[in-house]
Amino acid sequence: MSTTPRERPTPSPDGRRRVLTPLEERRAQFQRYKQDVKKEGKAFYPFAMFHDTVMSLAVVCVIVALAVIWKYTAGEHPDDSGWLGPLYKDKADPGTTSFVPRPDWYFYFLFYLLRIFKWPESVLLGTIGIPTIAIILLLAVPFLDVRRERRLTRRPVAIVAAILVVISMGVLTYKGATAQEAIASELKAKVPVWIKQENLVANAQHVQGLPAGANASALAVRGAHIFSEVGCLTCHTYLGSGSSNLGAPDLSAEGAKGKGIQFQINHLQCPACVNPGSPMPSFGGLGNDNLLALATFLESSKGG
Amino acid sequence: MATRAPTARQRTEAAVNYPLEWLDERSALVAGLRYFLFRKVPHDTNWFHTLGSATLTAFLVQAGTGVILAMYYKPTPNEAYESIQHITNDVTLGWLVRGMHKWGASVFIILMFLHMGRVFLFGAYKYPRELNWIVGVLLLVTGMTEGFTGYLLPWDQTSYWATVVGININGTAPFVGSWLSQILRGGAEINADTLARFYSIHMLLLPGALIGLILFHLYLVVRLGVTSPPWSKTAAGRDRPPEPEADGRRSGLIRPGPRGGIAR
Repeated sequence: MSTTPRERPTPSPDGRRRVLTPLEERRAQFQRYKQDVKKEGKAFYPFAMFHDTVMSLAVVCVIVALAVIWKYTAGEHPDDSGWLGPLYKDKADPGTTSFVPRPDWYFYFLFYLLRIFKWPESVLLGTIGIPTIAIILLLAVPFLDVRRERRLTRRPVAIVAAILVVISMGVLTYKGATAQEAIASELKAKVPVWIKQENLVANAQHVQGLPAGANASALAVRGAHIFSEVGCLTCHTYLGSGSSNLGAPDLSAEGAKGKGIQFQINHLQCPACVNPGSPMPSFGGLGNDNLLALATFLESSKGG
Repeated sequence: MATRAPTARQRTEAAVNYPLEWLDERSALVAGLRYFLFRKVPHDTNWFHTLGSATLTAFLVQAGTGVILAMYYKPTPNEAYESIQHITNDVTLGWLVRGMHKWGASVFIILMFLHMGRVFLFGAYKYPRELNWIVGVLLLVTGMTEGFTGYLLPWDQTSYWATVVGININGTAPFVGSWLSQILRGGAEINADTLARFYSIHMLLLPGALIGLILFHLYLVVRLGVTSPPWSKTAAGRDRPPEPEADGRRSGLIRPGPRGGIAR
């Protein structure tokens, strides 16, 4: 940053040449700005206001056009999405958990960041860290760049920073928009493969902490089916299936972590109670039987 | 000089001007409006300088359509989804109002980013306009929070589950996280209280904050003026040998003038 004062003759009361400090230079420039605007400027009305009015009318037209295109290309049915998406999606159902949480498009960059950062080590970086740093950096821009220079060719750092920000936001938004979600029928077809590859039937026999008389192997197999159906794989991955979202970890070797049945059940009931700050929703609605099966399945998954 | 009785024309003019003069004598609003309209701006401002007022227009569209939507929308889990269907299918031009609000939100966000990009590339955040950049960043964050809170209101699957995760993401914040997500939810689960809270935040708290910030933003724009394009050869404030001030001293931004004002 070249904040070195520039030598410039300045008439001062005692007739000596004085070097302006950067602040004095900026103030002098603003004085010149006000003189120039007074002398050479144009009246806001009608000259600048004409441009503003035309642009504002264009904005309103674009908004109306989007609303009209949206309405007239979409059908009544939620699946008939037209050019700009359906008029309605299905009504909210807190009972289903197999739904992919997808924010509005301008949060896609954040949504995609959470595919990159994984629970528990770095998810905080994606959820809080990077957005907070971005906001602080934005607020600090006028204090990081205190030079008077405004010409683009003389501001290489600012230009490179702007290009990098635009590219990274663009790429993250695009990736978020086109992120592939797991398809339920494909996941169901994978269950027999999992059972074989993970050796679930045999592994289940070694799971501790099941109720007396429970058929461990049957529980694990049932758990695998539930696992494929209730939406775990919209965020977690398992033996290469599913989509990695919101920082959720891979579960192929969850059983190898030795957390125990009771932990798994507690966690499914209230993820944030066990892992403070976990973004995972509660699966308590599945009922105790299903949670026990899911927990047995997870504890039997040793990584194949 | 003999005073003549006013002509009919003069009497009409006086009658027409009387309300304006009455208002101006008490509020100075007319003088303020005249200053706002006829103030000088740099001669080389161009279409890039319209992005700010375009953003304001998008905000006004959101405010207007939002008021109409609020007349028909019911912020309870049992009625929200059906009231949106009612607005879209039954209310006269309801589909247009809802569509404009839905798509206007995206246009508003895009215009905020474009406007910010223009200000960044023009270096218009530099002295003495740093504070207005900060207000602008706060407007961007508040505007995006408007988007987040408005997303839940249709109470459909996407909005519900996106909000579940969005609130949980707020919950990952150190120290304040669990408190923040508790406040947003209004309890342990997303339910009727959450929807009412998001509705209130979306149409009272945040719009109020936006209006306050926008007014301050505009006040600073008018007070400090807009910058010439950086490539302009005749930019206002361009470098040149300094002219001595009339009172023989160089002065800064805060300069005691005849009326104590600064931006004139």
